[in-house]
Amino acid sequence: MSGLVLKGISKSFGGTRAVDRVNLTFAEGQLTALLGPSGCGKTTLLRMIAGLEAPSSGSLMLGGRDITGLPAHKRKFGMVFQSFALFPHLSVRDNVAYSLHISGASRTEAAETAKRLLDLVQLSAFGDRRIGELSGGQRQRVAIARALAQEPEVFLLDEPMSALDAKLREEMQVELRLLQQRLGITTIVVTHDQREAMTMADSIVVMSNGVVEQVGSPQDIYHRPDNAFVADFIGKANFYDGVTVPGGIRIGATRLAASPHFVNGSPVRVAIRPERACLDDEPGENRLKAKVTFVRDLGPIREYHLETVLGPMVVEYALGEGGKSFVIGDETEVRLPPEALHVFPDPQAAVAAE
Amino acid sequence: MTAVERIEADTAQRPAREGPGLRRILPWFLTGLITLLCVVPFLLVIAISFGRKIEGAAWTWDFTLANYQRFFVGALWPDDVTFLYLQQLGFSFWYAVIASLLAVLTALPFTLLLTRLSRRAQAAWLVFILSSLSLSEVFIVMGWDILLSNNSGLPALFKSTGLTLWLKDVGWFQTLRDWGLASPRNVKFKTSQFATILTMSYLVWPYAVILLYPALSRLDRSQSEAARTMGAGGWTVARTVILPAIRLPLFGSTLLLFVFLLGTYVAVTVFAAPAQHTTAVAIYTNIRGANLNAPFGATQAVILLISAGLCLGLGHRLNKWAEAR
Repeated sequence: MSGLVLKGISKSFGGTRAVDRVNLTFAEGQLTALLGPSGCGKTTLLRMIAGLEAPSSGSLMLGGRDITGLPAHKRKFGMVFQSFALFPHLSVRDNVAYSLHISGASRTEAAETAKRLLDLVQLSAFGDRRIGELSGGQRQRVAIARALAQEPEVFLLDEPMSALDAKLREEMQVELRLLQQRLGITTIVVTHDQREAMTMADSIVVMSNGVVEQVGSPQDIYHRPDNAFVADFIGKANFYDGVTVPGGIRIGATRLAASPHFVNGSPVRVAIRPERACLDDEPGENRLKAKVTFVRDLGPIREYHLETVLGPMVVEYALGEGGKSFVIGDETEVRLPPEALHVFPDPQAAVAAE
Repeated sequence: MTAVERIEADTAQRPAREGPGLRRILPWFLTGLITLLCVVPFLLVIAISFGRKIEGAAWTWDFTLANYQRFFVGALWPDDVTFLYLQQLGFSFWYAVIASLLAVLTALPFTLLLTRLSRRAQAAWLVFILSSLSLSEVFIVMGWDILLSNNSGLPALFKSTGLTLWLKDVGWFQTLRDWGLASPRNVKFKTSQFATILTMSYLVWPYAVILLYPALSRLDRSQSEAARTMGAGGWTVARTVILPAIRLPLFGSTLLLFVFLLGTYVAVTVFAAPAQHTTAVAIYTNIRGANLNAPFGATQAVILLISAGLCLGLGHRLNKWAEAR
């Protein structure tokens, strides 16, 4: 197999367009996360890939073969559902061996495969149990083992961690990633949790309102967001509206040095990550007066909430990163390095201006 | 004084709120009323089943097993043996089993499709189906009687549209004759087991939908989808995922409708040939009809009741066995 390719895939439900002309290539053996807020179309896209929904237009190619019209049961794509969708009338072993039983594999072969997969997900002692006797994490592992039993060409996971508690979710993210790397299966995970996507994915597809906003590695997406939506959805950022001026941006009466690639006078949104703003004495451009309004110590991170001439701003310092210590009411200066400023066109302001 | 001791002391000092008033009497009164209304008629029927018919008159209280003997081997046993009443019981079971299975098996795909409609469409269908329950058995049978009657119903339609001739041409008419569904000239549904079972099935079909609806609407659709992604086609999904998931409600619905249909009277009297009448019809004939033999009618009622109970017990056992497997 040489990757899965989506060409102009769209899906409409009545008058609502859930997915709009999506073009994507999923590289072989890589884990890709479809990331976006609820209702952005990521699950619909995954269901179209699985063959559970028919696209309204566009095509899906697998290894150069058009599989758009191929029904789900002929695609050989393993899928883990949000609810895990395990069969309660079957034991754990029979759940795992289900695809082998229905494909006519011999009992011995099915039993051996189930045993191997249960070993893989560390549930070898649970084969005879009923699904109702398992914890959330164990159920998820059974669902993964079951989906892997048919040796799928593409492995799909629809919000697989959403039913797990926070601690277990973190553990399972790492486990799932290690398993995927070991097996080398092309994997697509749907999630709305950016931390989950950053932990597991080789590549992230950020979606909003049915369209792909950006595709890239986790580092790319975080450090070089293509637009304000991505900058806002991935991680935290301070946002300010302004207009471009020669050599910088004007926000209200304040001019910031930056290098926007827009025509002067263009309405823009400026974003700066909390960890890129500095409360230090180093000389440089874009130094603003600030007053500390709130301090939040989260253990590994300390957040300073500031009131500046631009408006409220959050600055973050990691533990051991140095920097001064402030208390509420302290007057200081915040430095916004020009290279840390992300400048995006502001379509809303442009529409309002028209 | 510990908290526990204090609570105990408070409880002891508190005056009893209720005396032997209405609240205490009410449960006893309700129990008595239920006993009177439900158990006493059963006990009376059982007692009457041991009674004796007086020739030319009514019947008298007694304790004789002659009625039970008559039911199983005939009144002239041991000189002569007849299984007429067992045969009637057999027809009761035959009609009820086939009609309940037909109702459940046809209601199942319909209800499954119903659960996939929009909420609004589901509500409209359910209201329609529920309202059809208000039709009496007599009304429904009358409708089917007209529909299947030889002169004005489907047979007349078959003849006028040339369908009868076509059936004769293709050779299927003889098959219908072999099945007792045609006279030498035209198709004929009355009297026939086909018409009896069809009408009985129609009678309970709305019940089947309503009994299956809760279980089917609770079905986790993602389980079927998971099966599909694992290579299961439509029939495999139904066989390995949907049917096991609704096995219990499916079995329970069939059993309930079966027991309900054991007592069908009007449909059998209208559509079944007299030689193929059921125990329910025989009970009525004995108690209220021409025979005026209440003890024997009561005996048949008791045996029908026990048979239904045995079926329920057997069904329960079968279900347990299947679950254990």
